Amino acid sequence: MKINKIYFSIVASLLLVYACTDLEEELRGEITTDINIEGISSGGSGGGGDALSSAFVALRNAGTANHGGYFALQALVTDETVIAAKGGDWYDGGVLIELHKHTFTASNGFINGAWNQQYSGINTVNELLASGLDAGSNAQLRVLRAFFYWRLMDLFGNVKIITSPGVDAPQASRSEVFDFVESEILAALGIDSVLSMDLSESPLGVGDNKYRINRWAALGLLSKIYLNSEVYTGNARYDEAAAAAGYVIDNGPYTLCSTGCSVPNLGKRPSVASDPDSLEGFAAIFAPNNENNPEIIWSVQYDEATAGGMNFSQMTLHYSSQFTWNFQDQPWNGYATLEEFYNSFDDNDRRKKASFIAGPQLDFGGSAVLDYASDDGNPPLNYTPQINELEPNSLREAGARMGKYSFKQFGRPDMDNDYVIVRLGELYLNRAEALARAAGDWSLAGPDVNVIRSRAGVGPLSPITADSFLAERGREMFQETSRRTDLIRFDKFTGTWWEKPASAETRELFPIPFEQIQASNGSLTQNPGY
Amino acid sequence: MKKNLFTSFLMLAFMFLAQGMYAQTVNGTVTSEDGPLPGATVVVQGTSAGTTTDFDGNFSIQAGADDVLVVSFVGFASQEVAVAGQDQITVTLVADNELEEVVITGYGSQRQKEVTSAVVKVEAQEFNQGAISAPEQLLQGKVAGLQIYNKGGDPNSAAVIRLRGISTVGANQQPLIVIDGVIGASLDLVDPNDIESFNVLKDGSAAAIYGSRGSSGVIIVTTKEGKKGETAFNYSGQVNIAQKVNSVDIMSPSEFVAAGGTNLGQQTIWLDEITRSAVTRIHNLSASGGNDKSTYRVSTNIRNVEGILKNTGFDQFNTRLNYSSLLFNDKLRVDFNTSFTKKNQMNGFPQALRYAVMANPTMPIYGVDSPYQFNSDQFGGYFESLGLFDSFNPVSMVEQNKNEGSGIQFNYGLDFSFSLTESLDINGRIAEQSARYSNTIYYPTTSHFNGNATSPLRKGLAEFFDAQFSSELYEIYGDLNQSFGNTDLNITAGYSYQQQNFKSKFLSLGDFPDNSLDFSDAIEYSQDLLNSGLVGAGSDASPDEKIIAFFGRANLTIDDAIFINASLRQEGSTKLGEDNRWGLFPSVGLGVDLNNYLNLSNVDLFKVRVGYGVTGSLPGPNGLSQPGRGLAYDGGQGGAGTFLTRAANPDLKWEEKAETNFGVEYVGGKLSATVDVYTRNIKDFILDRVVDVAEFGVDRRFENAGELKTTGFEAAINYDIVDSADFKYNMGINFSTYKTTLEDYVLEAEMRGPLGAPGQNSTLMIRNAVGEEIGQIWGPRYEGVSGGNPVFADINGDGQVIANQDAALSEDVDMEVLGNGTPDFEMGWSNVITFGDWTINAFFRGAFGHSLINTFRAFYEPRLSTQTSYNFVNTELAVPELTSARFSSLYVEKADFVKLDNLSISRRVDVSNISFIDALNVQLTAQNPIIITNYTGTDPEPNLVDRGTSDNGQIARGSDVLAPGIDRRYNYFNTRTFTLGVNIKF
Repeated sequence: MKINKIYFSIVASLLLVYACTDLEEELRGEITTDINIEGISSGGSGGGGDALSSAFVALRNAGTANHGGYFALQALVTDETVIAAKGGDWYDGGVLIELHKHTFTASNGFINGAWNQQYSGINTVNELLASGLDAGSNAQLRVLRAFFYWRLMDLFGNVKIITSPGVDAPQASRSEVFDFVESEILAALGIDSVLSMDLSESPLGVGDNKYRINRWAALGLLSKIYLNSEVYTGNARYDEAAAAAGYVIDNGPYTLCSTGCSVPNLGKRPSVASDPDSLEGFAAIFAPNNENNPEIIWSVQYDEATAGGMNFSQMTLHYSSQFTWNFQDQPWNGYATLEEFYNSFDDNDRRKKASFIAGPQLDFGGSAVLDYASDDGNPPLNYTPQINELEPNSLREAGARMGKYSFKQFGRPDMDNDYVIVRLGELYLNRAEALARAAGDWSLAGPDVNVIRSRAGVGPLSPITADSFLAERGREMFQETSRRTDLIRFDKFTGTWWEKPASAETRELFPIPFEQIQASNGSLTQNPGY
Repeated sequence: MKKNLFTSFLMLAFMFLAQGMYAQTVNGTVTSEDGPLPGATVVVQGTSAGTTTDFDGNFSIQAGADDVLVVSFVGFASQEVAVAGQDQITVTLVADNELEEVVITGYGSQRQKEVTSAVVKVEAQEFNQGAISAPEQLLQGKVAGLQIYNKGGDPNSAAVIRLRGISTVGANQQPLIVIDGVIGASLDLVDPNDIESFNVLKDGSAAAIYGSRGSSGVIIVTTKEGKKGETAFNYSGQVNIAQKVNSVDIMSPSEFVAAGGTNLGQQTIWLDEITRSAVTRIHNLSASGGNDKSTYRVSTNIRNVEGILKNTGFDQFNTRLNYSSLLFNDKLRVDFNTSFTKKNQMNGFPQALRYAVMANPTMPIYGVDSPYQFNSDQFGGYFESLGLFDSFNPVSMVEQNKNEGSGIQFNYGLDFSFSLTESLDINGRIAEQSARYSNTIYYPTTSHFNGNATSPLRKGLAEFFDAQFSSELYEIYGDLNQSFGNTDLNITAGYSYQQQNFKSKFLSLGDFPDNSLDFSDAIEYSQDLLNSGLVGAGSDASPDEKIIAFFGRANLTIDDAIFINASLRQEGSTKLGEDNRWGLFPSVGLGVDLNNYLNLSNVDLFKVRVGYGVTGSLPGPNGLSQPGRGLAYDGGQGGAGTFLTRAANPDLKWEEKAETNFGVEYVGGKLSATVDVYTRNIKDFILDRVVDVAEFGVDRRFENAGELKTTGFEAAINYDIVDSADFKYNMGINFSTYKTTLEDYVLEAEMRGPLGAPGQNSTLMIRNAVGEEIGQIWGPRYEGVSGGNPVFADINGDGQVIANQDAALSEDVDMEVLGNGTPDFEMGWSNVITFGDWTINAFFRGAFGHSLINTFRAFYEPRLSTQTSYNFVNTELAVPELTSARFSSLYVEKADFVKLDNLSISRRVDVSNISFIDALNVQLTAQNPIIITNYTGTDPEPNLVDRGTSDNGQIARGSDVLAPGIDRRYNYFNTRTFTLGVNIKF
């Protein structure tokens, strides 16, 4: 009897176990499907928080204002910023020196980072486009995707144009990518050409909406792209560059931030009298509280708590500068400005003080910031514009630092400043240059460029030449990821500057990342010269 | 003595042999030296008539008067006894230590002789002695091909266990642990004192019965069981004292100043300030006993372990019960075992060792000794050299901060074995494990290290981590034994279901008012609660991780000389892609005892065997086949969106290893030897692979890619040099060597293993290339120094030296293989000398041919002018003229070593006059008394897995198996330990 029961339970349990073969994996604690959460989009000045959040978050995370990708590439191959090796510190196997000397290779991690960041953004946009949003949202997304492709075209030239998630496409030529970018933006604007501007059909909005794309942002972007068309395709499109910029300047709701345009100075130390109570004009555009600046047309929202990803304070400042701003974390002491570039600013150019941290540093209480571990045995921290050497033993306090996106007291490693993508000031310069280049007469740049100079508190540009215009553009656009593109357009990128020998023309394009070439199974061809 | 007793028994048995020759019922008893043997087989020779003994060892069988009974039992030498007319026979079987040793092979056991795969059994008397704080330490060096390295010997970090080199790249590298039949158990569950034996299944044919988890080998742990009889107590206790053996050679204060270091006026030997002589105490008390129907063993272990770094160590309490009972007329055997472990860990701050090496030796410990005005109140009275990257006062770090963990583990296993018929058993197993661990880290407001003492606000930080793990196992299998003439057949078949779950949560917050109390106990006062974005929190839960399997095995023994084993397991896992969840893992083995046919003189066994088996490896994490996404908030407006972090791969499958093993076993006279050669092909390893970001939307997904091939050779020899009554000397040597090459990979070649911060994060030092041995140390060859800079060799002779890191894989680079982190071969050499009441045990261990990158030297040995506030490392290899830090062959050192690993002297004390003590043993052990090596770092043992870089005191948690050979700055310092132990039976 007992035995029978045992037999029965054995048979029963055998049947039971054969049923137990379900191996479905239901993940917990991990997101596997695309979700988008809409917040209160009307509340903020920028209009963020709508159904497009993931796309614009992707832009924030696309190397826009941190170390390790897009920003680093645009800045470190030019004459505006450098990271010198301070002993072992910041040597990094020579990759930073290679960026400066233009001897970088396809294995460079920054190049890989920049590539991946843009394609990751494109994928997010493609997923959103596939989800079926309204026409206005779709138009914004297409401009944003075109912007990512513009970055890729500008850096790498020939890239794949992917327009739906998971569907591969062949590598397109740089001209094809240009045509794609142009046509996408024009389509979003509802026009065939910027030379005949009837925007009545445009699904893009007209109101100020800094964290999203309106028609002014799209046109500003177009002016940038047309200005460089000759580099990208061989065809000059300067009339269109001037027309696009001019339309925004003349019709848009934006004004240059000049006298009277100010915000409270969040970096002020109460006991340091020379710290102004407010930041006015040029400095206000990039301040930690720049979200309502009237000059900004399109910006990327950064916030210390809810929108992290801007790390300039960490990237550039000396460890001991923590005591000037009471930073939550110790900075990294990396990026500095080249002496020559620093000296290209007149001392009375308001942009000089607004762009750099230089000279002796004071702490919160107004005493000298002391660095007892100082290399020169002189404890007070003093950022000298001169950098003694690129490698191996650059002094740790050498070089003026990037301070345009200024710092606030008690700042966190993630900064609060919004990063500017399109602003009115640049459009003046775009129009100035486009008019001059279209006519072959640099004096035509005068009226617009002098608007900018006058805001900076300096007299008219004289003489106006390609070189002086480039220098002016450098002073205005420092730290705005414009320098590399500008140097290439002015044919100076392959020239020489401090610790940088002449480089081959093929360096005007970055190599396609080695890892991606390998992963692409032959569908990507490397750029010449690599 | 006992042997004589046995002989007399035999004589007695044979004396009755000649009488009576008619069919009759023969009753008898089968015993061993420990008492009656239940379950022994009694067969009438030449027939299928047979029976097994009951719990008292009694049997009853019909046999003719001239029949011969064959009595056998696993682990004992079979005996043939002629009935010879007797109706009452007593047979005493003798345990066979060499030939008839029983090895556990998974879902059963076999006589050692019958095993056709490479299985090694290590029993208690062979274990390492002395300061043992984890079970794996008992085994270190004892099994050819089994590598166990806890580099530096941090008492709170687990050893890396590796069998026959790497068997997988992505997934779990550690062998599968099976404790008393429970698959995938944790070694933390068992106290070293409770272990009876280890069975190490080395090759694929042995491990295949464990299917998708068998690729890294299997270690089967058997705990001690109760023994029938009156309650016997056993106490063992030990106290040991440990000191650091080697240090990093750094400059003395005066040397440092002379070399241009910044002089802060004091003389501080930082390493001495943070280390100590560590005292450890261990107590174990066990009681064992039972009657005819049930036996039990209960034990309690208390460990109080100190690390040599101040404020590190752990206290552990463990108790275990093993209970066994026979029910239903002895047809049902029930085994129940359970254990409970409570462990309080002082994890401390091992990072302090690194900061002690690099701290300025003229720096004062306390602020009052500062050479300039210094607000030491802000730092709790300690001095801090501010304005310097990655620099913290190590004494402050160790004394002010707290990193404590506490864990509780509980498990039980209930096994049933029911004799359905004489030849068929049904077995069931229910087992459960659960573990909880919680960790609290607290940095007070005055700690410069992570406490943010320099900042005017947000000082102090508390971090909490809690995890819980549970595992359930249900198995049922049948066991059929049949004999046909001279052929024995054993068939096992069954089903296994296992489910595991893991949950964790994390919280960090800071900005505490002051140091008036430990605010990790009062986090409600954190001001981070008032500011958005500063409280860190996270939680995670695993899916129901399931492994389901059907398995079967057949063992065939012919003529007691030809052995055939075959097994098959079909297994599925939730961790794999939905199109590839189930795998099939077969094995087959053949062994022949040639001696049975050759009849060599003085030879007991001469077996050749060959085995082939396929095993798998599952990925470590869950969800790899599914897409992964991150979520980011879009500013403060409440919007959020996700982005892809991992592309899906529904085809993801298990990694597969096919292994062929050929072995020869010899036992004869004083010599026994085993030799194995093997080759293993590992394919489809699961890698986080770079994919075309344009197509997949993210540049990462997990794929099966790549192939490894390992070939190896292992030998173990044991010889009784002297074997007389009053003096015995036994010597054993084991030797192993293997070579692993990368046959196929996602990239032709790649660089891994960054040197780290400051400034060398992009300096990758380990190259893996298709067709080459894995883990090659790759870099420029140092030739000399010029103007403070290193001069590298123009290796390819093209007139220019290209040694930049991102050119490491280009054709014109001037770099070469500078070494390899995996040893060429490893050896263990044991010596056991017994005379009178004394036993001396000396165990030497060595590894040869591996190199280590001495990262302390790479960072701090060059006399950087920008580094005068860190101390300089100053080994015999230092080049004082060098003033720039560049990785090269200069920092790659051969790390061959020989250690007298374990020297133990024990004496049996005569207690015959003490009535209440049965036996007393006193023991003195030294660990690491002698280390012979040229390596200038702290510990020459191989570093098989790279945990990655860390700076600013971060703890590195990676595990890169393709980057062996990097001796990181956070490795703990090795110790020398002396132990006094006592063992009392009463």
